[in-house]
Amino acid sequence: MSTEVTAPAGVVIEDLHKSYGDNEVLKGISVTVNPGEVVCLIGASGSGKSTLLRCVNRLEDPNSGRITVGEFEATDPDVNLDAMRRQIGMVFQQFNLFPHLSVLENCTITPRRVLKQPKADAERGAMHQLELVGLDHLADRRPAQLSGGQQQRVAIARALTMKPSLMLFDEPTSALDPETVGDVLGIMRNLATAGMTMIVVTHEMGFAREVADRVVFMDQGVVVEEGPADEVIGSPSQPRTQDFLRRVLNPLGE
Amino acid sequence: MALSNRDRARLSLGIQAGIFVAILVALILIIDWGAVRRSFFDLENVSGMFPEVITIGLWNTVQYTFFGFLFGLLGGTVLALMRIASFPVYRWIATIYIEFFRGIPAILVFIALGFGASLAFGLNLSTLQTASAALAIVGSAYIAETIRAGLQAVPKGQMEAARALGMPAWRAMVTIQIPQAFRIVLPPLTNEAILLTKDSSLIFVVGMAGSAAELTKIGRDGILQYGAGMTPLVVAGACYLLITVPLSILARRMEERSPGKSSRRRGKKKATESPVTAGVK
Ligand SMILES: Nc1ncnc2c1ncn2[C@@H]1O[C@H](COP(=O)(O)OP(=O)(O)OP(=O)(O)O)[C@@H](O)[C@H]1O
Ligand SMILES: [Mg+2]
Repeated sequence: MSTEVTAPAGVVIEDLHKSYGDNEVLKGISVTVNPGEVVCLIGASGSGKSTLLRCVNRLEDPNSGRITVGEFEATDPDVNLDAMRRQIGMVFQQFNLFPHLSVLENCTITPRRVLKQPKADAERGAMHQLELVGLDHLADRRPAQLSGGQQQRVAIARALTMKPSLMLFDEPTSALDPETVGDVLGIMRNLATAGMTMIVVTHEMGFAREVADRVVFMDQGVVVEEGPADEVIGSPSQPRTQDFLRRVLNPLGE
Repeated sequence: MALSNRDRARLSLGIQAGIFVAILVALILIIDWGAVRRSFFDLENVSGMFPEVITIGLWNTVQYTFFGFLFGLLGGTVLALMRIASFPVYRWIATIYIEFFRGIPAILVFIALGFGASLAFGLNLSTLQTASAALAIVGSAYIAETIRAGLQAVPKGQMEAARALGMPAWRAMVTIQIPQAFRIVLPPLTNEAILLTKDSSLIFVVGMAGSAAELTKIGRDGILQYGAGMTPLVVAGACYLLITVPLSILARRMEERSPGKSSRRRGKKKATESPVTAGVK
């Protein structure tokens, strides 16, 4: 049993700028992600990774630059944002499940209310996705009754019920207890294998090396280095990348 | 000086208990219980108030309050949404309305509607319409602030998750944010209903026919009618308590098991979790 990915979308980001007041957070970012490719975004806290990710589905409005996602021009002022977002799944660090709805309802509410799927169809689709993340037996629970790892798996299932062609992950395992991280990463790896286009902000270097086609290292709003995972993580060429990786891989600084 | 904190606390408790007992004894000795009974609890002479105080007075009070609250809730929700709208003109209008009607005594609104509406617009409002409209106008200003606070108490990530799934803003509002805010504001809204129940008495300034009389009117008229001193007011007051105390208990129950509490607990857990995982990564 595995995920079907129908039409993975490519993402092109060109010269993207974003400021909060006087604070320029993204200073001309250009990144291309091919359909079906997995790109991991790494970088220090505050370097602008979340902001970049949130510009892609327009939870943030960039100041200038261009983003295209599949056939959508995300930065076009006239783009149908809701239609575009239906093609883009997003997974948050804090899960953001809807606490007043059951696990199943979390997964059916958008297909039913937005895609107007009949209840039975939406539930069949949702149960299928919950099975894939191994949580169909918890469909009737409330999110608060689940562990962090289980909640994040539900969040992934919820995003996949919309049959997206691109998945964005913003530090999906950073709020998890260490023993549940593996389950979530495993599901993400399956999704990658199934051919999903994925942009993943993560500090899990093991995952990046194993799953990512490419790694992009950001620092202070610019892309410092990008390339195959083994190169960027294994033998980085830029001093800032080397410094960052030294701190991440060896936090105590020995 | 040699007293420990514990001794001091005990001493203070003892002194308080002593004062309390002294006051109680003084009250029992000083007060003319016969007079109190005659002017406040002369229940034999007010038996004529029944059943009208219930079938008319209590019933009208409940009706005025119910419709006032219902329309106040509708108006308050609209005002709250305007208050957090991105279009500034909406925000200004809502803010002015809220500040105005929270800032003036409710009785002015009753007077304005009771007398002004017919003078200015030739409207002939019934007592039910006047009372409910006045309560709705005043109540919506308070309810708007309660609901706004509730909407803003829903974590931002909820709206973001809904929008990221492709829900239009109004749909995310209706299916995600408002239901969660509603649970948060249920206890304070119940308190609002209690305040409106009491404010419904202000309709007395306008005057009303006997069949439209609410509790306070019936209590006031009873003072003249029964020669039982203030007892009719005590009866009316007891009837108010019949409405407000259950509401109050309801509000407290909901506060105890409100989702806000559990989510706060969850929030704390997360706050202690993240530094741990931050150290691991
Ligand atoms: N809504 C906002 N308003 C103002 N400043 C913001 C806002 N969101 C982010 N910033 C600022 O933008 C900068 C980049 O933030 P961002 O969240 O993109 O970093 P990040 O790389 O995701 O960091 P982390 O690893 O801590 O998540 C930070 O300096 C942050 O303070
Ligand atoms: Mg971030």
